[in-house]
Amino acid sequence: MNNIAAPSLAQRKKKINWQKVLLIVTFSFVPLFLLILFTYVPFFKMVKFSLYDMSYTKNKGYVGFNNYLKIFKKDEYIGAMLLSLYYMAGAVVQLALALFFATLLSSGIKGGGLFKGIMFFPFLVNGIAIGYIFKFFYTRGFVLDTVLQAIGFPLEKLPYWLRDQSVNNWSLVFTSVWKYCGQNMVLFIGAIASIDPTLYEAATIDGANKWQQFKAIILPGIKTVFMLNLILSITGSLSAFEPAYVVGSMGANGTATFFIKIHQMAHVNNKVGMACAMAMVLMALIILFTIAQRLFFRYVMKDSDNTFNSKANKAKTLW
Amino acid sequence: MKKILSLVLAVCMLLGLASFASAEELPTLDQITLGENTDLAADLVFAYHRTDRREMLEGYVKEFQKIYPNINITYDLVTDYAENALLRVGTDNWTIMGIPTVDKDELSKYFIPLGSLETLDGLYNFMSAQAYDGVCYGLPSTGNANGVLYNKAVFEKAGITELPKTPDEFIAALKAVKENTDAIPLYTNYAAGWTMGAWDAYIGVAATGSATYFNQELPHAKDPFANRGDGTGPYAVYKILYDAVKEGLIEEDYTTTDWEGCKGMMNRGEIATMVLGSWAFTQMQEAGDHPEDIGYMAFPITIDGKQYAPAGGDYNFGINVQATDDQKLAALYYLKWLTHESGFTFSEGGVPIDKNGAYPDLYAAFAGIDMLADEPALPGEETLLNELNSESELALNAGGNTKVQEIIEHAFNGDKDFDAIMADWNEAWSDAQEALKVEVK
Repeated sequence: MNNIAAPSLAQRKKKINWQKVLLIVTFSFVPLFLLILFTYVPFFKMVKFSLYDMSYTKNKGYVGFNNYLKIFKKDEYIGAMLLSLYYMAGAVVQLALALFFATLLSSGIKGGGLFKGIMFFPFLVNGIAIGYIFKFFYTRGFVLDTVLQAIGFPLEKLPYWLRDQSVNNWSLVFTSVWKYCGQNMVLFIGAIASIDPTLYEAATIDGANKWQQFKAIILPGIKTVFMLNLILSITGSLSAFEPAYVVGSMGANGTATFFIKIHQMAHVNNKVGMACAMAMVLMALIILFTIAQRLFFRYVMKDSDNTFNSKANKAKTLW
Repeated sequence: MKKILSLVLAVCMLLGLASFASAEELPTLDQITLGENTDLAADLVFAYHRTDRREMLEGYVKEFQKIYPNINITYDLVTDYAENALLRVGTDNWTIMGIPTVDKDELSKYFIPLGSLETLDGLYNFMSAQAYDGVCYGLPSTGNANGVLYNKAVFEKAGITELPKTPDEFIAALKAVKENTDAIPLYTNYAAGWTMGAWDAYIGVAATGSATYFNQELPHAKDPFANRGDGTGPYAVYKILYDAVKEGLIEEDYTTTDWEGCKGMMNRGEIATMVLGSWAFTQMQEAGDHPEDIGYMAFPITIDGKQYAPAGGDYNFGINVQATDDQKLAALYYLKWLTHESGFTFSEGGVPIDKNGAYPDLYAAFAGIDMLADEPALPGEETLLNELNSESELALNAGGNTKVQEIIEHAFNGDKDFDAIMADWNEAWSDAQEALKVEVK
């Protein structure tokens, strides 16, 4: 690399291709314009609204950070945020399952394509439709109860899946895991497929078993996709909405997540300023969690990264 | 950005002035007669919530076109109407809509005046609901009287010979249903949400016997949810629900109730009672083979020996201020036709809007019961109740479904007694009164 002389700055300056610049600017204008119009302008508006006491039709004036203070004063909202923990626990299970199936299906199992399709299918179904499916799924004496009875659970010992507050949030989390597991799996399969197959061969020759291969080759190989999935799942848990809104009757019976509270605040109570402030808090939380995760995994993955590199080097030296 | 905004505003205002000038030529609802101006041509978009009545409404359009062949009306029926309409109200993608919760002083911003309250009040029922400063902006689609739906056959089988008139009698009747029949005594429709908010409709006239209570006294009331001790007032309304849940007189799994399914259950006699407005009556009748079994009674609260039924307009129709003059005029004709000629209120079991209209049979059990419409808010306080509703987050009779659902949850789980719930509501209400500096009487 270093042998090739880099053009000097002066040389480079001369080489500015105006046609190219014009092309870049023209092509990026439309997407940038849309991005600014539909993402950044509304966002800054939201920041502004969060400082006002206002409804959709009326602005009652500037209140500073009062809206924010109110959020933290009410246990109701803290409780709603804590509901995310259910969904986070679900996200961990979901990723583990997805990874398990992805590894299994990548090992060239018979009928893998069919299984992939079956597993991915829920993700294609509209969230509202899933909501209605699960509403009937959990209704007393319907699908779930019938299946469990067939296995041998007596009906009277089964909980009311949505009524009992000790299980209803888990019921909702399950719908979310059911929907997104397949999508995570497909992403993992894609990542696993990009790993050089010669590495497995080399590892087998080295005497590594399947678990060791998984730990030393697959896991480090799909690190980036894994991180991405994890961050998306965890931040998704923080803003969980669909299951609780559709299956949980709009967040009734102690299933109202923070996102649902925001929705109610804006659309039922007509407090748009307050709702914007809540949305800001949610965004801050999501950013915080993302940073925390990155830091955590930078620390944890360091090790496995080295293992991967050394293994890779080993593999290379073998050849 | 600001410059563009102010330019747009200026143009809007100019246009507004222009339309104001021509608005003088636009007649009011009482001045037009059906059958005139039959060559009027316009395309109207009608935003409304009755998704279950699409065929019927589109049939009306065909009927109407026999008089006005060049007026074309497209119904835009939306399920989550209340929220949807609130977002659309300021746009021009509708011509007629059911007026959502808009502050009274802002009605003129979105809707054209239909005429003076004084004149229209003499011709139609419930005109004051969407009026401001003596001008009407909305015409009710139909009128509802609020009571309780019940299944006559189930009541007979349970041995209830006289309709319950007080909360105690009502709970006793529910118990009789539970003991003597297989029917669910009281079906809450918890999961649908809005069916729970429907309980708020009884805390005014039905619970107090006063037409001024809801809009005029409630905003200034000190602790409105306190126990009055005589089985009246808002406390008594919600207490019925709490007690019914506590005594096990509701459906087994309230979290999976099914609104569409419940109609057939009511018709077949699997449900004894449901607390819903009279508009639901015909839907229950149509849902099965026993329409004759469906009955309607007044809410079981008696004030000084008398029962009262709150009556009022359903959604009010308003006409978009941004529509063209032809569209506005066409919309006026259609609204007039709907009210006088369509027979909508009668077939829907509603209280007629046209003062000369006929009452359907379902109000037979309302003989001797006073039907009162809530008086509008006092001048200068038109927006007060909305503001209190928003500030307190109780949203009384304005989509506050969650708080009523919570009554059921607490009653069922036994984790909060009823007085504590009411105390919380009182606190929320007085905090809101304090925040808005409302005089408490």
